Order: sequence, then structure tokens, then C-alpha cells
Amino acid sequence: MDSLIPFTTSGSLVDCVDRKMLVVLRDGRKLQGVLRSYDQFANLVLEDTVERIYHQDVFAEVWRGLFLIRGENVVLLGEIDLDQEDEIPLRQVEWAVLEAYHKQDIADKKKREDIKSQVLYEQKGFCKEGGEGDGY
Amino acid sequence: MLPLSLLNAAQNKPMLVELKNGETFNGHLVNCDNFMNITLREVYQTSAEGDKFWKLRECYIRGSTIKYLRVPDTLLDAVKEEQNRAREAGRSARGAHVSGAGQRGRGAPQRGRGMVRGGGPARGGRGRGRGM
Repeated sequence: MDSLIPFTTSGSLVDCVDRKMLVVLRDGRKLQGVLRSYDQFANLVLEDTVERIYHQDVFAEVWRGLFLIRGENVVLLGEIDLDQEDEIPLRQVEWAVLEAYHKQDIADKKKREDIKSQVLYEQKGFCKEGGEGDGY
Repeated sequence: MLPLSLLNAAQNKPMLVELKNGETFNGHLVNCDNFMNITLREVYQTSAEGDKFWKLRECYIRGSTIKYLRVPDTLLDAVKEEQNRAREAGRSARGAHVSGAGQRGRGAPQRGRGMVRGGGPARGGRGRGRGM
């Protein structure tokens, strides 16, 4: 069977179907769900999806349901080891408690990135990234 | 069930579409195509920061600007059932008309599948294999 499926990025996803997967999106979001389907663009169908946020050694999750993710927004797709997922040394807390911390983390990171790109632009001769300024 | 077939099956169902820039659109799917371009009706648009809202009667979204779509959880089951029904219907329809003459279908010898023809070695018929 191996030889029938060419080694392409989407070709290697067959083994992941019906498995619990972690998906990281380009905007930094982390989704966990069961991969039900995909296509040549690595568009994904995720069932029973939860979104997780992390802050230091705690995490929180919220139910999101059935997702159809456009492939170009995916940074990473990884299988979750069901035997080990409960052994991670993290504590789960309520989403409402953690959300504010998470938003602060994102804001802090954005500030750091802005400063970094400003330095690269002014002192190191780099061009500005995302110059169109339209967020795409 | 390919992702885009699922989208097709979601016509007239409520869904949430998030764009790459973070804006979200809540509405019912009117139509879609293979580029993932979609039209929605009775839409609630939300700004990326989640602080501004608009109501639109109908809107068109270019597929390339989409980050993801959230569709009803029940959709997958509905589609699976629909496929099963279609298969059953197809099977009984064929079974009624075609009979005798070596039963087309699984297992029976068929033309064009690389079975013994002209005495050559029987090679696996399906797809491009490893040659031998």
C-alpha cells in the first residue's frame, strides 16, 4: 500500500485519519480534535474539536465542535498520544479564569515582535513585513 | 467525505466563518464553489477585536480569505447517512435490472482490470504499482 501513495504533504495524512490530532494555526490558536478528512490542499475536517490556551503551567479548554480548516492557515498537525496526554505536568483551570492571562500573553508577544521588526527595519536594513497593512 | 463536499452538504445550514484577518461571519450558507468562495444570508459580522457588529442580509466571501469554518456537529452524521442511503438505493436499482452474465461487481472477472488476457503474466490491475 505504501508505494501507491506518493510522498506528498497531503499524501502522508492518510495515517492520521480518525486519530486525535493537534492543529496549530497561523494565528497561534491550538485546536485538538479527531481528523475525519482532508484533501490535496490539506484542508482539514476536525470533529469534536476543543480549543486550548496555555499560560505557564496551566491550561484551559473550551468546546468548539466541527471545524473545516482551510489548509493554508495550518502551521502544524500532530498526532496526540492517547497513552501520554494525561501525563503532562499541567493543571487545568476554568477558561474564564485563564482567558485574560492568555490575551495579555498575546499582547506582550505582539509588542516584542513590533519592537523587533522596528529595530530590524531601522538599524539592520530589513524591509517591513506585511507592508500592505491589510492583515492578509 | 472531502472537506469541500462537506461544505457543499452544509448548504442552508448555519455556520460561522472566520477570515484570516480575524473577522467572523455568522449566517446560513446559500452557496459555495470549489474555491471555497461562499455566499451567506442573514449574516452577523463581528470585527476581529470582537467589539463591533454588523448585520448583513446577504454577503459573498472569497475563499482565499477564509481561515476556517465552523459547521453544525450533526452535519457529519447527516452526510454519512445520506451517502449510505444513496448507496443502498443505487445497489437495489442495479440489482433489479442487471442479472446473469457474470454479475458485474466485486470479485467477478472484468474487462480492463489486467486479468489474464493474451496469456501474459497476471499483474495487479489497480493503479500504478511498483511494476512487479
